[in-house]
Amino acid sequence: VVCYLLCGLHIFIMLENSPSPLPERAIYGFVLFLGSQFGFFLYCLWAFVPEDWLHSIGLSYWPQKYWALAMPIYLLVAITVCFILLFGVNMSNTAPLDSVDNITDVYAQGQSTESSRNGGIPRLKDVSISEVNKMFYLSPSIAESTARRN
Amino acid sequence: MEDEAFTDISGKPISLDCQTHSSFCREFIISSPKVSMGKVMAYTCSVWLLAYAVFFFTQNTAVLSGAILVTLIGMMLHIHFVKVDHESLLVIGSLGIQVSSSYASGREITTFIEMSKIKDIVINEAIYMHQIIYYLCVLLKDPSEPDAVSSVVPLFQSSKPRLNCLVKVYKSCQEILSKCQ
Repeated sequence: VVCYLLCGLHIFIMLENSPSPLPERAIYGFVLFLGSQFGFFLYCLWAFVPEDWLHSIGLSYWPQKYWALAMPIYLLVAITVCFILLFGVNMSNTAPLDSVDNITDVYAQGQSTESSRNGGIPRLKDVSISEVNKMFYLSPSIAESTARRN
Repeated sequence: MEDEAFTDISGKPISLDCQTHSSFCREFIISSPKVSMGKVMAYTCSVWLLAYAVFFFTQNTAVLSGAILVTLIGMMLHIHFVKVDHESLLVIGSLGIQVSSSYASGREITTFIEMSKIKDIVINEAIYMHQIIYYLCVLLKDPSEPDAVSSVVPLFQSSKPRLNCLVKVYKSCQEILSKCQ
């Protein structure tokens, strides 16, 4: 019975996705850290060692040294442009003021209109904009409180 | 006739004029501030000084005449196509609504929407550039499908009044629409 419970508990933990630290994740992180530091050391080695020495060892088909400077600069400029581009993409994806997407959408139109049972909790549904407006601006008590808030 | 101090979403003063022509006909006119002479002078002087500086270095007189043409044509296009003098909404119960905007040069653009196509006039909130604004809009419906909103016509797009002005217009419109739709 205890084994069965432990097995169930282990499966339960594995099925749950949580961002908490785990031993496996610590190992992956450390391996990535070591790998990236080593990769940077190799990159600096390639950038600083003169071409003749590399040719004499036998490594002749490497990129021009121009790229040792150009690649980081390209990367930084690309990141900056991405920031600006992201802002622009967000603004262009925003629905304009005359679009129906500001009022309703497929899910709100397709919701069921059945009424709740007597005494039951009403179903969660999207209230139409006309009703919301009447409640905010035409009913006197709420209209006063929204006017005070504004 | 009423005239109170309202502002648009950026804080510039606008004026709202509500006229009740009859029990089922009302007109709302929102006027933006006129083109200010100070701004016109400032723009013209800066463009001409810039052109003179360029002429000083390049000694090319075409720059000067080009600057004069640019300012003249720019001002004409601005007052004819861009600068809105006032926008009006005329609601006639059981007939329809008429939306018109007139520009500073005198040009008027008018649209009439008949009552059978109008579902409602509501105040909606939407994202506009970097902020969320309230705007008044007409919900249009397809006569074959009376429950669905087919399209949206935003009103007062150039003057963009704030919520206090919109609520006034909304309440007034709803009085007519609820009686005579």
